[in-house]
Amino acid sequence: MKITLKRIAVASALLSAGAAMAQGKPACGLNNGKAASGEPIALGAVVGKTGPDDFSASALASQAYFKCVNANGGINGRPVELTIVDDQWNPEVAAQAAAKLVKDRKVLAMVGSSSFVECGVNAKLYAQEDVMVIAGVGVPRECFFAKNYVPVNAGPRVSATVVAMYAAQQYKAKKMVCVIPNIPSLGNWACDGAKDWGKANGVEVDVIAVDPGSPDATSTMLQAAAKKPDAIILNLPKGIMVPMLAAAEQQGLAKKIHFVSSTPAYNLDVPKTIGAAWNGNFDIHLEFMPVESAGADNLNWKATMEAFGNKSDPRDSFAQAGYLAARIATEALLKMDPKKIDRASVSTALRNVKGFKSDILCRPFYVGDGARHNANSSGPISQVSGNGFKQVSNGCLMAADPELSDLREQEKKLGL
Amino acid sequence: MPDLLPFLISGLGVGAVYALSGVGLVVLYRSSGVLNFAFGALGAVAAYVAWSALDHEWPLWLAALAAVATSVAISLVYGRLLAPRLAEREPTVRSIGTLGLALVVLGFTEWFWGEQPRRLVLPTDAGAIEFADVRLTYTRVLGLAAAVSMMATVGLLLARTRIGLAMRALADQRALSSILGIRVLQVDTAAWVISGAFAGVCGLLLANIVRLQATVLTFLVIPAFAAAIIGRLTSLPVTVAAGLVIGMLEAVAVLVPGFSAFRTATPFIIALLAIVLWRDASRKA
Amino acid sequence: MTPHSIQCERRAARLALLRMVLVVGAFGALVPWLANAYWIKTLTSSLALAIAAAGVALLYGQLGLVSLCQYSLLGVGGWVALRVGHGLHWPFEACVAAGGLSAGTVGMLAGLPALRLKGLYLALVTLMLAGGFQVVISATGFPDGGAGFLGRISGSERLMLPRPAIAQGEGAYFAYVAAWLATMLALLELHRRTRAGRSWALIRRGEAVAEGAGVNVLLYQTWAFGLAGVCAGVAGALLAGAVGQLDGRAFAASESVMLFALSLIGGAYHWAGALVAGLLLRAVPSLLVDLGVNGYLAMVFFGAALLHALITAPRGLAGQWLAAFQRLRAKGRA
Repeated sequence: MKITLKRIAVASALLSAGAAMAQGKPACGLNNGKAASGEPIALGAVVGKTGPDDFSASALASQAYFKCVNANGGINGRPVELTIVDDQWNPEVAAQAAAKLVKDRKVLAMVGSSSFVECGVNAKLYAQEDVMVIAGVGVPRECFFAKNYVPVNAGPRVSATVVAMYAAQQYKAKKMVCVIPNIPSLGNWACDGAKDWGKANGVEVDVIAVDPGSPDATSTMLQAAAKKPDAIILNLPKGIMVPMLAAAEQQGLAKKIHFVSSTPAYNLDVPKTIGAAWNGNFDIHLEFMPVESAGADNLNWKATMEAFGNKSDPRDSFAQAGYLAARIATEALLKMDPKKIDRASVSTALRNVKGFKSDILCRPFYVGDGARHNANSSGPISQVSGNGFKQVSNGCLMAADPELSDLREQEKKLGL
Repeated sequence: MPDLLPFLISGLGVGAVYALSGVGLVVLYRSSGVLNFAFGALGAVAAYVAWSALDHEWPLWLAALAAVATSVAISLVYGRLLAPRLAEREPTVRSIGTLGLALVVLGFTEWFWGEQPRRLVLPTDAGAIEFADVRLTYTRVLGLAAAVSMMATVGLLLARTRIGLAMRALADQRALSSILGIRVLQVDTAAWVISGAFAGVCGLLLANIVRLQATVLTFLVIPAFAAAIIGRLTSLPVTVAAGLVIGMLEAVAVLVPGFSAFRTATPFIIALLAIVLWRDASRKA
Repeated sequence: MTPHSIQCERRAARLALLRMVLVVGAFGALVPWLANAYWIKTLTSSLALAIAAAGVALLYGQLGLVSLCQYSLLGVGGWVALRVGHGLHWPFEACVAAGGLSAGTVGMLAGLPALRLKGLYLALVTLMLAGGFQVVISATGFPDGGAGFLGRISGSERLMLPRPAIAQGEGAYFAYVAAWLATMLALLELHRRTRAGRSWALIRRGEAVAEGAGVNVLLYQTWAFGLAGVCAGVAGALLAGAVGQLDGRAFAASESVMLFALSLIGGAYHWAGALVAGLLLRAVPSLLVDLGVNGYLAMVFFGAALLHALITAPRGLAGQWLAAFQRLRAKGRA
């Protein structure tokens, strides 16, 4: 590794960042307190804001981090301009949003995207135009099977697998039921991680696909309970999960069956909403370390949101994802020659990301130049406790999903 | 066979949902000649108002009152100020007008309250009747009772009272009725107030039984129309029965392998079958 | 009426048809030069939906029939086009034709039991069909290059429907869609001027009247449903080509209701109304998104605009503007 002046500068910036973190002031980028004033670097983000749920917290956190970077020397003097577009959970609008950002605005990369619908629609455009997407959150299968799409989160399949592994370990569950919305690329994929893991480990996992628009949660819970499982895995968006738990509570299932969930249930409003019946009785897999953990990077995330985010920006796991995506992009950009920053070189630099460490993540993050990306495949387990959550696992569990074997190969090659 | 019973009972809960909304829609149609696409949206905003009130520690009766008052007020404003402008047009156009109202109310509700998991918890949730391995909470029993009593009350109102007669006349032939001396504005006001009140009560019960989410509650009108169609948009008892049957069949459909993922289509399939099988009876609305 | 005046009328009618084709064609040729990538994509969708709106306007404007399932027929057309395109690798025009014809057939079949129904009852029945389609398509999704009947791919990237060779780029595809729009509008216009249009006008007056005049009511009503279905199917196939894929969650029953409502607002009595409807469906929301307006506030604005247009413009916006234009011309001549 050549000891260039630039690398020394970056290293000392990171060291001073560590010192600043200890003081509670956000540390980002070069961390020199000087406002950046060069030629702006255009980045973009597509978020699903208007629709069944609001995923925009991810891009808002990325924006806060970039504002911090711009106030601290920018990317070697050049400020970052992040343009966020709402795709309204509509694939047509998502295609328009990508056209606007990639072709009109000519962004160099997308950072902090979090959309349910854009992966399938825009993956080909991103590959054709060689735009890398360091997404905060991806959900359907297409987000984890695209050449240029790199979600920072673990995804519903990995999440359900990890929580199934925990239920088997903690409750000695031998039979489980996994409930998933019957949407293509989700209904036939996201519970299969738990199912395939179960097959290899002597645990029977049945899958129930539900219509997300169904007004009848009780019948689904009765159907699941009729299979006499030891645990029920809810792999649902929180809007649908809450009525399911309400129905389960009304049918007296809360005391008979262990209920666990993948990560969407990890939201600060959920414990109060689902009520006291689930206190100490509902386990959730987290894609990142808990929001209130005391790690240095986690505190830096909070400080960044305080100083550079809006008061109304949520401070939840989506925001953690957006912060990480922005940090990954910033560190990759800082290693480049400021005069030679164009789309091709940015994509190469992002593909070379390897061994990115943060205490928000369980394991180091990497991008690589494979045909698909799913670097975050582990996480801790938290339990609903009072009006909040408490971590109940010893550190992180790593998903043993057979589908991840190609990525485990790649990780071994990269020495992770 | 014993396997079916829990689902039939739990289906009564969903059935009450469809019956309630169906009655509300038919009542509106019979008293104002308009298919109210905004029925669900008005219920949704009422439910959210109740949730906010309960969140601020208001007593339940006050929260419910505020909720129903909200839906009545919006319905009244629409009925007095906007609906008369469309009164001369054909029924389709007047119904599309209520669609505009639905969009305004839905958009406002989603914008104001935002996307956050919420539950409308009513005290009747605490108790339940146990029946064949299934528990029917008192709220669902209340929903069933409400559907039946609404049907009876409004049926009586329309059939036996003067104002009911005036409403039916106005819905049928507006110009002719006004010439005959029926106080158009008064009767219209009464019709929209009643519909607003029903929407509010339905909204509170639906938000508890289904989900407190504005878009879902607004578009629950569409399967509710299925119950209304089977009642041929005229008969309230048939609408209630249809709603209950649809709910039970949708619940039981969970057991049919292969169809279970499509069971939300049950209301539509039953309505279409009813149309095809009872052709002669369903010629004109 | 003297033969000379009939000749003049015929010439005026031909000119009007030519004018319509030229206007749409000019739109198709100019926009790619003036608009950026975001707007070209938006306007492509708008033109495709204008075709569907023209079908809705046909049913309502000519026959007074309300169909609240046209967007679902758009989905049917898109599904067939995608299945045939990915599975059989037919040329794009054949895919569009297949999509249009299958949607037309489904429209006719679905319309048969509904043919004896009128007014709101027909509207509700078509809404039930739309609801059923919503449930099915949300669960099965659209073909994206895989095998089997449903054509869903798993374990790798979803494929995009290949565009015609002459219209690969965004601007070229926009002009291509404009050409299809002009063709479909001309087709509908020609129908209106021939026996079909006269039969429809009679049927609108009353079925008994039409039967008395010797019109085969069943045939012409079914034909109208079929034609509206073809319009929807063609629109769906073109939309599939525009985005490359279709998503099962974008075909809710509410979309059909919105399509009908905005066709009404655009104007069901003139071809320009279909164009306005297409713009209202896609261009206006895109403008609001572009300006950064919160999606839900945009919905409030849309609902209010809907009510306003419904109250003030009985013949739709196109009707209102054309009437104003005629008044100006009359003033200019006087």
